[in-house]
Amino acid sequence: MNQADLSKLVSALRIAVKPKPRLFASPEGPAGRLRKLKATVTALVKYERIELNYPRAEEAQSYAERLISDAIRNGDCHKHTMEMADYWLDEKQLIHKLFKVLVPRYKEYNSSYTKLVLGPKTYPGYYAGTAILELKGNPFPALQPATQNYHYWLHNVLLGEAKREFRVAKAETNANLSEPVASKN
Amino acid sequence: MAVTRFQFLSTFSRQFSSISNAHIVQPKLRIEEIRGKRISIFDKEYKRQQSLIPRLEKIEVAYEGFDNETTTLVMNKGVSTPYNCAQHISEHLMKNSVVAEVNGEIWDLHRPIPSDCTLKLLSMKPENQHQASLVNKTFWRSCSYLLGAVVEGSFQDDISVTLHSFPPANVRSGSFVYDVQLSLDDWVPSLNDFRQIAATFQKFVRQNHTFQRLDIDSSVALKMFEDNAFKADQIPHIATKSSSGNTVTVYRCGDHIDISRGPMIASTSLVGRCSIAAVHRLDSRIYRFQGVALPSEIYINHFAFGILETRARKLNPARTPELKSN
Repeated sequence: MNQADLSKLVSALRIAVKPKPRLFASPEGPAGRLRKLKATVTALVKYERIELNYPRAEEAQSYAERLISDAIRNGDCHKHTMEMADYWLDEKQLIHKLFKVLVPRYKEYNSSYTKLVLGPKTYPGYYAGTAILELKGNPFPALQPATQNYHYWLHNVLLGEAKREFRVAKAETNANLSEPVASKN
Repeated sequence: MAVTRFQFLSTFSRQFSSISNAHIVQPKLRIEEIRGKRISIFDKEYKRQQSLIPRLEKIEVAYEGFDNETTTLVMNKGVSTPYNCAQHISEHLMKNSVVAEVNGEIWDLHRPIPSDCTLKLLSMKPENQHQASLVNKTFWRSCSYLLGAVVEGSFQDDISVTLHSFPPANVRSGSFVYDVQLSLDDWVPSLNDFRQIAATFQKFVRQNHTFQRLDIDSSVALKMFEDNAFKADQIPHIATKSSSGNTVTVYRCGDHIDISRGPMIASTSLVGRCSIAAVHRLDSRIYRFQGVALPSEIYINHFAFGILETRARKLNPARTPELKSN
């Protein structure tokens, strides 16, 4: 149809953005929801690692990712991006941090800029529990142990060799299959 | 077909006799006699070596643990083993340590430490490539040894079993190997035979025998292995290659004693899933038993293990034993 290609207007975010926003009902209505989310995004940019409840953390993650993504794509001279930064960051020195610290840090990233780790549930029951939302590349010790490389463990060595043998055998049978066809031609 | 079908005849599984027969399953006197004799020589030599230590001196062992943390342990010289050091530290280390690194040199876990050193305890899930190659080879070597131990006791009385040797451990080949001479011509093992040997292997391994190491003089070794022509032949060659020119290293695991150069794992509790993959006939009476096993710490899907078993069925390309006279 004549629908313009909107996918080129915004950089694709590298997190799963849910189609419907969470309600976060408050006496102030949607404005109250946005006020709280602004506080969360501000705190994330200020402290680089915050612990809060999971639903708000997930919601704030998408707003923070979008903010950083736009700042990288458009820079600080872009009017709309600066307006957004001004709106979302309650403490104005963080606007400087966003454009001068976070943008250079995340310019070459091929992954998301934030990480959401599940935290403890303080009482038993079926509810979402706490979460730790952090900006990647923060100066704190890692929350989870670094992923180990297991390829030299015994089972992986054996399976690797079996895989290699299988592939060699398969290549041979493929070569044998293609030869009679070639000879016919 | 009675020759090709064999039963459990080892001490730890006395087989029930069938209802109608008169012939009772006899225990393997020959093998047990031989083993008993070897054990008595081993014990005597062990006690003699222990008595050489006049009084206990202390040594400082610097244990390097997780995250490069160092602890100093004060241990007994020539008596304390890396296992004793692990006992001072944690149960997890005791249970999971396969082999130790003493001053960078690979060391059996139950071998006494002779002097001040730095100690590292390695498990089957090591931190880097170098440690992994050491640990994997040790495991493979120990599995070869255990295969020999199990095969020796698996055959019926009328079949003479003479263990020849096992080639150096090669993990990448996909199987561990023991070459055995059986007094059987053209034996083709059935699926049931494989299952029975594997079951014996599992039973032996579940008894949690520790591997005890002993360096003995070649004359003592010859006395120990006088009934085994192949080993008696190999002992002089092995002795000349050793550091002092005259010593042979033997390992005892449960009732079985065998010669091996390299370090072995701490105990059979570290072996998890194991299976006998194939028996290939090498020469007229020499059979190559091949198996594959994984440590108890490492979990693997049954389908993936099946892939390893299938690969282990191929004839292992390790060196074949050269026979001077058949």
